[in-house]
Amino acid sequence: MTLNLCVLTPNRIVWDSEVKEIILSTNSGQIGVLPNHASIATAVDIGILRIRLNNQWLTMALMGSFARIGNNEITILVNDAEKGSDIDPQEAQQALEIAEANLRKAEGKRQTIEENLALRRARTRVEAINAIL
Amino acid sequence: MAMAALRREGRRLAPLISPRTITAVRSSPLYPTLEDEGPLGVRHISTQVVRNRMKSVKNIQKITKAMKMVAASKLRAIQTKTENSRGLWQPFTALLGDLPSADVKKNVVVTISSDKGLCGGINSTSVKISKGLHKLNSGPEKETKYVILGEKAKAQLVRDSKKDIELIITELQKNPLNYTQVSVLADEILKNVEYDALRIVFNKFQSVVSFVPTVSTVLSTEIVEREAESGGKLVDLDSYEVEGGETKGEILQNLAEFQFSCTMFNAVLENACSEQGARMSAMDSSSRNAGDMLDRLTLTYNRTRQASITTELIEIISGASALEG
Repeated sequence: MTLNLCVLTPNRIVWDSEVKEIILSTNSGQIGVLPNHASIATAVDIGILRIRLNNQWLTMALMGSFARIGNNEITILVNDAEKGSDIDPQEAQQALEIAEANLRKAEGKRQTIEENLALRRARTRVEAINAIL
Repeated sequence: MAMAALRREGRRLAPLISPRTITAVRSSPLYPTLEDEGPLGVRHISTQVVRNRMKSVKNIQKITKAMKMVAASKLRAIQTKTENSRGLWQPFTALLGDLPSADVKKNVVVTISSDKGLCGGINSTSVKISKGLHKLNSGPEKETKYVILGEKAKAQLVRDSKKDIELIITELQKNPLNYTQVSVLADEILKNVEYDALRIVFNKFQSVVSFVPTVSTVLSTEIVEREAESGGKLVDLDSYEVEGGETKGEILQNLAEFQFSCTMFNAVLENACSEQGARMSAMDSSSRNAGDMLDRLTLTYNRTRQASITTELIEIISGASALEG
């Protein structure tokens, strides 16, 4: 029994095929989904999605939104998603450093929140690369 | 050369010829082709006028051909984006359902149209459907408001429904369309407008020659709950356990907002595609019409030219023969 996984962003379909298991990070923690999981609809946090195909784990950085799991079909709708293999390590590291610097400089509530989000996104991307290794 | 010489002769002799002689010559059966001297105008159209018309029609034809090619290239660019965004709203419909028949108190009709004209009838069909929805949903307890995207719908709806318009947004296509821009827009609409059901009216792009006006319905969370409880198509929603976040209501609220912005994104892209496709076909038929007009004008031009040559010849020859005879 395999799960059918669909990862969609507004601009393109990032992933659309069968997998054995996934680990998803939601607002209330990470959940692992195996075949014949109960039906749930959940919000997805900015974090890593781990996909297992035949004992090989792949990572994808997701930038938050929704997931629907039911009947061995998983649909994840995200604002943006990047496959771990598509991210350039150095660029991601630089982005992380820039985000950290911006956070320290941020003034006012709104900027702080925005920089926080940017930081989390950059961190997710770096983690996505590191997790493969 | 001989013609020119003859013409000069005729002009030199013209003052000597009395009008009476010419008329006598003209009515003689030796000089045909002038039976239609009834309407005085026929022989008086100058070739200059027809030539000017031909030049302007030819310019218009060139312009419309260029516009068609521009529209074709823009269409190709947007089409891939649209097809990619189509997959996005389907899960929402699968989960929450698209219920155009939901009976609600506060309807908001979001009409999507183009900013520029010359794109065929697509804007008029969108406006017609919006007005139809408005009529359908106006009654003692119900009310309908408009949110307008695009200049063309604004021009048409401002005339008769001014008091029902909540928001007008124009110049969407100045920057290439992307999701962030549309989600900001969706956010604005959700903040400023109270609604129970949002109906988005746009032209769905089926193919380069067919654009189908469609209505997508997005319901607010309370209505979704109500429908889910009352049975019908939304019962599946309850079978899903909702996780993440504080309460189910909060998640559903987020979900509804996300659904709205995804559906808007898809709708705006589809409408843009339809606009370019409609403009392509409108410009194509206009170039073809210009070509037809040009053919007809060429015929008229040749006839006028030949008529004027014949007139000159006759005058010369009649003048010359009057001299001899």
